[in-house]
Amino acid sequence: MARPDDMDELAAEFALGTLPPAEKQEAESLMARDAEFAGMVKAWERRLIPLALALEPVDAPPRIRGAVMKAIAGDAPGSETVVAWKRKASAWRLATVGASAIAASLAAFIFVGKPASPPSDQRYVAVLQAEGPGPAFLASIDLANGSISVRTVGAPSLPGKSYELWAVGGGRDKPQSLGVIDASFRIPASKLGKIDPAALNDTLFAVSLEPEGGSPTGQATGPVLFTGKLVATE
Amino acid sequence: MFRSSGVYLGLKTCNYSTYWAVSGVMSSFSEPIEIELDSLLPLIANGDRKAFGRLYDLTSSKLFAVVRCVLKKPELAEEALQEAFIKVWQRAGSYEAGSLRPTAWLAAIARNQAIDLKRRFAERMSARAEELDAADSVPVMPEAELAMDLSRLKKCLALLPEDRQDMVLLAYYQGWTRDELAAQYKRPATTIKTLLRRSLTVLKDCLDG
Repeated sequence: MARPDDMDELAAEFALGTLPPAEKQEAESLMARDAEFAGMVKAWERRLIPLALALEPVDAPPRIRGAVMKAIAGDAPGSETVVAWKRKASAWRLATVGASAIAASLAAFIFVGKPASPPSDQRYVAVLQAEGPGPAFLASIDLANGSISVRTVGAPSLPGKSYELWAVGGGRDKPQSLGVIDASFRIPASKLGKIDPAALNDTLFAVSLEPEGGSPTGQATGPVLFTGKLVATE
Repeated sequence: MFRSSGVYLGLKTCNYSTYWAVSGVMSSFSEPIEIELDSLLPLIANGDRKAFGRLYDLTSSKLFAVVRCVLKKPELAEEALQEAFIKVWQRAGSYEAGSLRPTAWLAAIARNQAIDLKRRFAERMSARAEELDAADSVPVMPEAELAMDLSRLKKCLALLPEDRQDMVLLAYYQGWTRDELAAQYKRPATTIKTLLRRSLTVLKDCLDG
């Protein structure tokens, strides 16, 4: 996997869709932690997409439209990535409403960490969600309070495994561990990484499944389960 | 003009190359639609359901064509389309203007959704011939109207031997796996992997060169 050519061939087959499940999962995880590889995949999608666009349109049964509109009726948009939640006192309440749309029951909101010298008072929120209606994490960074918080919206606690939160991209050479989300879905303050606020907008957050206690290598070793981007909540 | 081994009933549809012999009326995404979609996506990211409905109306028939090629069973294709649009709603905020054109971004979501669903249901492409025949045909657009980038891609594909072209197109349009291609071409899956990767490298060199 070291040679760029090999990486590009993997990206090509990933975009084509022919990778067997294990290799596909590997590629997905690589995408989340390697911006260069993700760029290769995007480039391949771009090369091939004219084929899909060359197809003659086929009308979908009208009921599909109704089903889609109904499915999104109670759902906040951008639940995977960016949610323009309002700040101020209502910020967390609104966040909770958005998350409730994903899962009915919520773990208690968990507040952790106090990184030093908050450089601005912006607040950021991201929902990290898997493909499909699976469990998710809600992560937020409040630079005013110097806090990072993570809570689950249904991710199960797995014996012998830990969820680890990563920051990817945003000027980083490689993914930065922000800490292990423990069995009660906290990130202990002692393990909390630091975030460069200047690069937040370009940062992808990811949760990987690691051996208990976190990645032994300092880089994600397990599958990346959830990803999301942070957005300023004004 | 489907050719060589001639067994791919599925390829009578969902393949631009069949189309070379076809003439007809085309309806592609025109530039005004791309521009409108570009303006709709930020609204959708902010929760504008009306904008989303408009995007659905503009693009659903195109995206349905994409998923129908991958999923021959109508109920699966419909499910894929529905899930794809829900993803569009969820991901509208992550659309980056200038990275991919909106239609390309949407088509990629639909195609990935359809392939995921196909894998999940392990719908076998060993489906009976009559089933494939019965699937509504999804013809492609007349060549004269094809976008420039498709013309280029087609020229580059033509550099490949015909069976390699077919492999790439079966994988792309219909979501065939290495194993399915191996069974069809009676070659080991590892050979298919090598052939696919070599073919894609040829394409890349041609397209980027």
